[in-house]
Amino acid sequence: MSQLEELKAAIRGHLDSLDCVIGWEEGYDPLHATPLFIHTEADLDRLNISPLAVHNLATYATGFKGTKIGIVVRGCHSRSIIELLTEKLIERDEVVLFGLCCDGVVSQRKIRAALPADPGFVEAVEIGADELEITIAGEKTTLKVQDVLADKCRICAYPDPLLADVLIGEKHAERPNDVGLACQDDFEAKSGAEKLAFWQDTMSRCIRCYACRNVCPMCVCQDYCIAGSRDPLWMSQENTPAENFMFQMIHVSHLTGRCTECGECERACPVDIPLMLLRRYMNKQVREVFGHQAGITLDKTPPLLTFQVEEARIKERDW
Amino acid sequence: MSANPYLPDMATVVEVIEETPNIKSFRLVLNDEAKMQTFSFQPGQVGQLSLFGAGESTFVINSSPTRMDYLQFSVMRVGEVTTRLHQLRPGDQVGVRAPLGKAFPVEDMKGKNILFIGGGIGMAPLRTLFTYMLDKREDFKDITLLYGARTPNDLTYQAELPDWLGRDDVNTVLCIDNEYPGWEHKVGLIPNILLEMNPSPENTVAITCGPPIMIKFTLQALKKLGFEDEQIITTLEKRMKCGVGICGRCNIGTKYVCQDGPVFTYAQLKELPSEL
Amino acid sequence: MERFITQANLERLAQALAEKSSVLAPVASGGTTTFRRLRPGMQLDFSRMAVISPKDATFPRNETLLTVQRYPEESGKRLELKEHLPEGEIVVIGCRPCGARGKLIFDPVYETETIKDPYYIRRRDGATFITLACARPETTCFCHSVGSGPADETGSDILLTAVEGGFVAKAVTDKGEQLLGDSLFEDAGAKAEEAAANHAKARELMGEAHDYASAAKKLLERFDDMDFWQMQSAKCISCGACTYMCPTCYCFNITDDEAGLTSRRLRSWDNCMSHTFTLEGSGHNPRATKAHRLKNRVGHKFSYYPDLHQGHIACCGCGRCIKQCPAGVDIRQVVMAAQEHVDER
Repeated sequence: MSQLEELKAAIRGHLDSLDCVIGWEEGYDPLHATPLFIHTEADLDRLNISPLAVHNLATYATGFKGTKIGIVVRGCHSRSIIELLTEKLIERDEVVLFGLCCDGVVSQRKIRAALPADPGFVEAVEIGADELEITIAGEKTTLKVQDVLADKCRICAYPDPLLADVLIGEKHAERPNDVGLACQDDFEAKSGAEKLAFWQDTMSRCIRCYACRNVCPMCVCQDYCIAGSRDPLWMSQENTPAENFMFQMIHVSHLTGRCTECGECERACPVDIPLMLLRRYMNKQVREVFGHQAGITLDKTPPLLTFQVEEARIKERDW
Repeated sequence: MSANPYLPDMATVVEVIEETPNIKSFRLVLNDEAKMQTFSFQPGQVGQLSLFGAGESTFVINSSPTRMDYLQFSVMRVGEVTTRLHQLRPGDQVGVRAPLGKAFPVEDMKGKNILFIGGGIGMAPLRTLFTYMLDKREDFKDITLLYGARTPNDLTYQAELPDWLGRDDVNTVLCIDNEYPGWEHKVGLIPNILLEMNPSPENTVAITCGPPIMIKFTLQALKKLGFEDEQIITTLEKRMKCGVGICGRCNIGTKYVCQDGPVFTYAQLKELPSEL
Repeated sequence: MERFITQANLERLAQALAEKSSVLAPVASGGTTTFRRLRPGMQLDFSRMAVISPKDATFPRNETLLTVQRYPEESGKRLELKEHLPEGEIVVIGCRPCGARGKLIFDPVYETETIKDPYYIRRRDGATFITLACARPETTCFCHSVGSGPADETGSDILLTAVEGGFVAKAVTDKGEQLLGDSLFEDAGAKAEEAAANHAKARELMGEAHDYASAAKKLLERFDDMDFWQMQSAKCISCGACTYMCPTCYCFNITDDEAGLTSRRLRSWDNCMSHTFTLEGSGHNPRATKAHRLKNRVGHKFSYYPDLHQGHIACCGCGRCIKQCPAGVDIRQVVMAAQEHVDER
């Protein structure tokens, strides 16, 4: 039985006892998937778990509090669930996790860069075992999935769900959990002036649509976000690189010790701002200072949700 | 209003009245004397008050066009702009964009009995029309005012209440939700007092404004008393920014409360999609 | 009038125009293509439709409406209020027909008999649109279903059509005609026919149009059916990508910024998908959930606006809201679901 069929069978077995199960289906064209809310057997037929099915569905979990739902999770998505559970933002008995051992998902940006014409003109996509055959204007291009994998997948330490009620697929061999820690050393080695110039240019594209915030499974105060608040007033509505960057600083600070690097913020950004540069940098600091990684185990309190009078690695005295 | 609909006229606060612990009335005079002389509005129209640096908010002009010494706005302290407004003292400067929106259909009310039902800050839009009618008393038949608040301290326009109660050409009934030491008027919820008063719908227009829950039950009471939808008038509140039908947030379907309202008959409201 | 211009000369023209006025053009940067103020050395990117619409030209994401200077009490002076009307001209180069036509949706709202928005009107009157006709549709394009097409001239001053070696440029307005007088343009000759053939080909590639005629009424019929709207909005994440990308979305916020004794009143794009858009001072919110908000967004475009403005749909079919939605909400499907809805009771 294929993984898809196996998953369908598992979901079918739970469908009656759940309000809905969230998975993916083909979206507005064959190159894009979209979240699927499965209520019936007929909905289940549309389920799609190809490497194009990228969305972190844990984002929807908090919106269903008080009901019981199922969520299909890849490795990184399960970390979001663990973090939500750790912070008591969802209840364990209100969610059934259908875990997929994951070989990675695509980056639409990389597909765009690899294609000879704009992917907006796509006519058909054949998804093979490790290839995508994409037809545009009658012309076929074959891309290796490995070549267009999302960055987060290249450095993924946890491809298999760390928490699941049903596990589909074969587990991967254990990977070292520091893989990727050095992946943006090049950027971090740049001078302050270079980084400033980079962010000034990049942040001039930001339109403050807050897709990065709203798609983030950990950003749970959306409706009352400080970005739109007048009291306290932290930010102007002015759309300048400085204000836009200020929002990203607030965003990343609020994710300190909570971000699971699912990459949704960067994926959702309509103007391709590489937000993971900020996330990974913050996460690296959190690992150095608190020895903490978010969403790995259920029994650790995120470092900023607790405090110790003497933090082991923060020198407050005797500088 | 100026040719630029976003440009406020500057005005000076001439008097501040502390109505209740969280409501103040502000009496304003436009700085441009000629503008103040020619300023005209109809009861029920609203204005945007600017507290520069904080922002703008919409309030009904609750003075009467028959008394043009000043424009009065009553402001309940709930957010940033209203908190800053509450700090104003006589002599301070504010911006005013007014008049905006549609007024009460005063012409259609002439020769009719008028029943005002106001709750809390909802008395503000009724005050303008009530005062107007007192000044044009001969144009209207019996006038009844039922005005209630949670406690005696929450009743606005305290300075005017003795006059309203003392007049023999209007019937003023005050009520509060619960017994209170020294309170000599009615006790009970507005819709219940209204049923008790049992006003006749015959040749009568009912005008009501107050918190949503009070409006809901008042409408039910009026229907029970036999009022037709066309005989009931209310005025709505929505979050507004531009006040001139552009910025897009105060609509209920195709109707923009800032331009097509805020005054609506119950019959008109029923025609609208249900999104209050 | 139709003339011809090579790609290289169009770049020259753009740079020459940028010396005299502001030029907004699609420029590739950081893996994406957005409209940017053209500066020396920047290349035009016509290979894809710019991610953000050209709406910035006539409705900037931010503008100062007025500034206020306060004076210390002891100075005896009062407040000084200054109106900030926009000045100068802007030329948009390389927007698509949907973007040029989409901006017209603003007109009946921003300029009525009684209300005239001077900021918008000045910008609109000072703007020139040099539009590029589309050679073929993207999967998210549906301009032909909202009364337009890949070579629609409405709202443009010049329509460019890619042909062998460059572009055929057709003047649509007097402003456009004047620009075509520039010596960088050549005789179009037989290339005009090539352009016409390309238009026909592009239109054919779009296939059959969807008929939205029943949408206005059908959407209203679903107004109270919150189950319907919850289903349609299930995957929506309530962000503003759709509205900010949209050439026709015209809602805005007004906020004050204050620094010491000076303050300014800012108008900025606002987003009807946000909770705070309709949140009232009392805490009451008439559109408290994303289902309510999506209902208003779709209803506004396909029902309320057409009802108020001679049946014109407030959507130009550019598909940006579909393509850029992080969750893939497809407005075409939402409207169609309302149109095809069968009452089961």
